[in-house]
Amino acid sequence: MKKKVLAMFLTGLMTVSALAGCGSKEETKPAAEGATESASEESASEESAQTPADEKITATITVWGPQEDQDDANGNWLKTECEAFAAEHADWDLTFEYGVCSEGDAKTNVATDPTAAADVYMFANDQIPDLLAAGGIAELGGTAVENIKASNSETMVNTVTYDGGVYGVPFTSNTWFMYYDKSVFTEDDVKSLDTMLEKGVVAFPLSNSWYIASFYVGNGCTLFGADGTDEAAGFDFSGDKAVAVTDYLVDLAANPNFRNDADGLGIAGLGDGSVSAIFSGSWDYDAVKEALGDNMGIAAAPTFKVGGTDAQMKAFAGSKAIGVNPNSKNPQVAVALASYLGSADAQKAHLEMRNILPTDSSIDVAGNDLATAVQDVLAKASTVQPLVSTMGQYWTPAQSMGDEIVNGTVTHDNAADKTEAMNTAMNSASVE
Amino acid sequence: MRNPRKTIINILVHAFLAVLAFIWLLPIFWIILTSFRKEKGSYVNSFFPKSYTFDNYIKLFTNRNVLNFPQMFANTLIIAVCTCLISTFFVLSVSYCMSRLRFRFRKTYMNMAMILTLFPGFMSMIAVYYILKAIGLSEGSMIRVALILIYSAGSGLGFYIAKGFFDTIPKSIDEAAIIDGATRWQIFTKVTMPLSKPIIIYTVLTSFIGPWVDFIFAKVICRANSKYFTVAIGLWNMLQKEYIHDWYTCFAAGAVCVSIPIAVLFIFMQRYYVEGMAGAVKG
Repeated sequence: MKKKVLAMFLTGLMTVSALAGCGSKEETKPAAEGATESASEESASEESAQTPADEKITATITVWGPQEDQDDANGNWLKTECEAFAAEHADWDLTFEYGVCSEGDAKTNVATDPTAAADVYMFANDQIPDLLAAGGIAELGGTAVENIKASNSETMVNTVTYDGGVYGVPFTSNTWFMYYDKSVFTEDDVKSLDTMLEKGVVAFPLSNSWYIASFYVGNGCTLFGADGTDEAAGFDFSGDKAVAVTDYLVDLAANPNFRNDADGLGIAGLGDGSVSAIFSGSWDYDAVKEALGDNMGIAAAPTFKVGGTDAQMKAFAGSKAIGVNPNSKNPQVAVALASYLGSADAQKAHLEMRNILPTDSSIDVAGNDLATAVQDVLAKASTVQPLVSTMGQYWTPAQSMGDEIVNGTVTHDNAADKTEAMNTAMNSASVE
Repeated sequence: MRNPRKTIINILVHAFLAVLAFIWLLPIFWIILTSFRKEKGSYVNSFFPKSYTFDNYIKLFTNRNVLNFPQMFANTLIIAVCTCLISTFFVLSVSYCMSRLRFRFRKTYMNMAMILTLFPGFMSMIAVYYILKAIGLSEGSMIRVALILIYSAGSGLGFYIAKGFFDTIPKSIDEAAIIDGATRWQIFTKVTMPLSKPIIIYTVLTSFIGPWVDFIFAKVICRANSKYFTVAIGLWNMLQKEYIHDWYTCFAAGAVCVSIPIAVLFIFMQRYYVEGMAGAVKG
């Protein structure tokens, strides 16, 4: 008897401590309130940063960026720029501490403990809602925002705007496009996916939801309304326009000249000649260059023929940006540094050292085929990846759709049902 | 002794085992092959590489700008060795106490430990992080200390297997030692330990492998401090989209290297896997 009571007690104790474990995560939330607070502070301090005589500050600033930006073999962009920033502000006695955190990892590392995270860090723009919820990102204000708006295209500004506030200084675009083999396709061929499929082998990551959306959006499906900000509108992947795309994809997957690009098949195929076109982003530039050499061509995603008309595939476009931690002890320095790292000069250095494409419209990128292609994508073949917290509901249903098309579960017979099921799954809050 | 039916059954059984062994060894064989593969990238259309090279290993240990594998290896080794020593001592001590001593809280403690071990350790990782931060162990070189603490501090709970082993050592040996005037500590070190080599080796191995392969805690505690990354984080990084094309074969090489210390430890320890019990008690 006694034993049983004890066991019950202990189980109860464990449950309580388990809940307490979750509680510590919740604790980070109140910090979000601090975000707006320090944001106003920043806009005030931003003015002081602009005045020629800076007040004297001694500070240690922690900066997080990807490892490649801190690689001496590439010129150590982060350190170079931070030191240039310190030299520009002679009255500030700054010591920098560098940490390694790739843009994609920022959410995880910052949200773990925002108070111990870097003052200034780089992140991918789709993480803004989560970073904000964790109290790890500050809204920018004052001249910092004016500078961002003055030097970037509207698309780029939109990628860092959430609920009307600007949360980061964009420094490069984050989207995907097409690499192709010039010896197989001509510049006219690459305008239409169907023409390409007749002439050579095309690999597309159909089972990756970041890519598959391009077909649906191309044919008029929408995520959160026309401009991607209307959360109440939800996902519209229903009706004939979506079913037509599913039908098209079923045919596409069955096409002998089509390969589903998974596990690096595409790049390996370019190397041995079994694939002539792949869809990827700037991170694969060096690998593709190595595989294709002078035959490398870069273009925006092509059109595809659905229901008798040509529809343009639309890639998700986002950005990588520099964010400021609201818990920073020296917010004015942090904001000034973020602005500096996203300035035209720093972007130019980034371009030269690592071929990181700039977003600042004053930088001349003529002659850089990658940059021209990306500009082309952003202008006509992209849609801003929505910054809405319910966007998380999109990924899994879309990926299962891609998987099922590839493995043949989805056929012309059940395309309508399957598409409707995907739409329902995306719009139901229980799927996350 | 020749029994044709037995021979046939034996052949079938051995053939079946051979097939199982082949399937089991295939992934290991593949990762070793991949670590010597010359073609880059993660996708291949043939099982055997088209050409072989040793460069993956050379790159892994010399290209230290982006992913500093030697440092990660050293970090992990320091952490794993310290953890191994501390937690082996903890586990064996606790097991000995539970097996030999009788005290009021004993049963309760054993039940509690059983319930506690049913929960995965990483359940509490955020709480553990905040505790470590509060006592100032979450920054700089203290990160190593923090990791050693995490891996070894709770290890005493895993005493069940060693306790079961100690229970099989006859109590009469202890009693004989007590009559000869030995203290509890002397019985533990001079009598029980020499008789328990297999379980010591088992404990050493498991407490070394735990921190050596752990990813979750290392990731939470190290966060962006690349100087203190462990091999598990390094190998995970190699598979991220920025690195996978260039680093995939190095990842395989890294995986092979990671298994070496474990293999060495095992081979070294295996010599002591002898029956320690024979003829200990007469009569």
